[in-house]
Amino acid sequence: MADSLLPILLFAACALALALGMLGVASLFGPKRQTAVKQMAYESGMDPIHDAHRKFDVRFHLVAIAFLLFDVELLFLYPWAVAGNATAGIDAAVAQATELGIGYSRGLVFIEVMVFVGLLAVGLVYAWKKGVFKWR
Amino acid sequence: MFVESKTISLLAPEIILMLGATVLFLLGAFRAGRAQLVATLIAYAGAAVALACYGSPWNTESTLSGPLVIDPMSLGLRWIALLAGFIFTLAGSRRDVELAAEFQGTLMLVICGAMLTASANELVLLFLGLELISIPTYVLLFLGRRDRASAEATMKYFYLSLLASALLLYGFAFLYGISGTTVIVGSGKVQGIREAFLNQDSTALTSSLFKLSPIALVLITAGFGFKLAAAPFQFYAPDVYQGTTNANTGVLAVIPKLAGVAGFLRLALLVIPGTAVADKAFAWQLPLILAVLTMTIGNVCALWQKDIRRLLAYSSIAHGGYLLIGLAVGAASMSSGSHQAAGGAGGMLFYVLVYALATMGSLCTLAYLGSPRRELSGVEELAGLARSQPLAAATLAIFMFSLTGIPPLAGFWGKLTLFGSAIQLSAANQTSNTSLSLWFVGLAIVAALNAAIGAAYYLRIIGVMYFQSPGSPAPAAGGRLALVGGVFCALLVIGSGMFPAQIVGLSLRAEHKLVEHAPSVSPPPLGEGRGEGLPITPLVTAR
Repeated sequence: MADSLLPILLFAACALALALGMLGVASLFGPKRQTAVKQMAYESGMDPIHDAHRKFDVRFHLVAIAFLLFDVELLFLYPWAVAGNATAGIDAAVAQATELGIGYSRGLVFIEVMVFVGLLAVGLVYAWKKGVFKWR
Repeated sequence: MFVESKTISLLAPEIILMLGATVLFLLGAFRAGRAQLVATLIAYAGAAVALACYGSPWNTESTLSGPLVIDPMSLGLRWIALLAGFIFTLAGSRRDVELAAEFQGTLMLVICGAMLTASANELVLLFLGLELISIPTYVLLFLGRRDRASAEATMKYFYLSLLASALLLYGFAFLYGISGTTVIVGSGKVQGIREAFLNQDSTALTSSLFKLSPIALVLITAGFGFKLAAAPFQFYAPDVYQGTTNANTGVLAVIPKLAGVAGFLRLALLVIPGTAVADKAFAWQLPLILAVLTMTIGNVCALWQKDIRRLLAYSSIAHGGYLLIGLAVGAASMSSGSHQAAGGAGGMLFYVLVYALATMGSLCTLAYLGSPRRELSGVEELAGLARSQPLAAATLAIFMFSLTGIPPLAGFWGKLTLFGSAIQLSAANQTSNTSLSLWFVGLAIVAALNAAIGAAYYLRIIGVMYFQSPGSPAPAAGGRLALVGGVFCALLVIGSGMFPAQIVGLSLRAEHKLVEHAPSVSPPPLGEGRGEGLPITPLVTAR
């Protein structure tokens, strides 16, 4: 038991040592020249123009949610696309299932993915109709 | 574990509900009007027809397919969930606001989640079902009202529910780590978590991992305990129930309880106590102590509530405590080595039905008594209801009597089966295990005292309705259909109180099917030949 966990512990110890070591070496030997520009809050290279505690438009929120929706869609479509043509992919799984006498086929997988895409499309239609994409 | 075509055919009711919800969202976006109520009722009817095709729960055998299990418990809980969906649809039928279709669609997703949870035989599907209940519930809470109290309730429920999900997932991770599989009950050549626990081999490389199972039990109990509103996860219920509408309170009080019971029985009962973990007594002492705490906190705090939904929240907590009695009884029986749950699991299933009928009926009636603009909230607003709304007052009185546990009604039989199972277990262990026997006698006494305390506040509501002079009359503009739903529940409460034998028989049968062993994976008899069953896949070599 202890033997099998040892590599994980060693890995954790190395990671910790590396992280602390880099921070320590940087603070020991790094040059420390502070200027007004360096003290400024970093905002993607632009000058921060006002306080961060500022209300911003709720429309950003809706667009962000819609973006997340399709981000997740892509996340699921990639493995499906890769497994469709890989050696140990869908074909192998279908062969294994057929051997066990289980009703499983490429068509079933395709239908499942299409249901997923269809549900997301309905979400898009709903958001569209509710005026999420109108920038009023 | 393949999701084969058969698995998908076994999911037909859920698929119909999912389609129905999709149609409802589109209806809500494109056209308002009564079409949405018709569409909702058609979807529920379709799901009911599909569910009826799987046969009566009274004579179903267990079927495993992919991540699903179809057995009397799964069918019974799915029927209760469908019934709840129908009743809450009626409770929310009068919604002149623009988001009526969204309410019905989201509710349908919640019901779909409850049905998935009831038949999940896989950790991932179980979690998916629970999230399909939680996430639409956040939306439901938001749709209910638009004021500060409602926003507070939504945020509270959102964050605490996330915390509970995280705890549950952590528990699942421990179970997966110990057993090397996410399947709960295995079949044929596929080994599940339960077989891994039953056939554990003390010489195997992974045997020391089994010492972690108490941690898994605590985390799982925390996760499902939140669903049951069991102590110490009960504190959200009063604030959240108070801050939302009567119909939403009904959904919150009933659906997570169903899911919690399903989760406890499928996972905690099957997986944990059948093991020879370091401390056998821990598996039943934990639910027993939680049961005592939960029911006492619920009943005592309910005594001085002035808001009806706050009162029902504490009542719901108290009933969560009664439900945990069944878990403690089942766990004690299973951990003593017998593969019987001693009536505990059956009692839990019967009690959750009884509780669900009375709770959803009373909140449906309260939804009828309010109006879309003004929800009925204070207990005092019910004063003199017997004169102004005699039918609504009578149905509410029936539910309150049933929740108290007055004999001819269903609630009495629910309490009888649960408390009786504790007494029976105690009597059976009188000589062999005296401390266990004493614990369970104590539990039964505390439970009976609690039932007496509970009577005080239920009867107070009846007193207010029947013996106080009326103040301003209740608006009673929640729609006639809501009253129909309430009366329907009242008839079911009376019916199941008159003929309890059928339903108790069904729940005991469900318990039997739940804990019995599939013939292909029968364990070695206890005490001899342990470890001759299926070999455990060691964690370190599992892929």
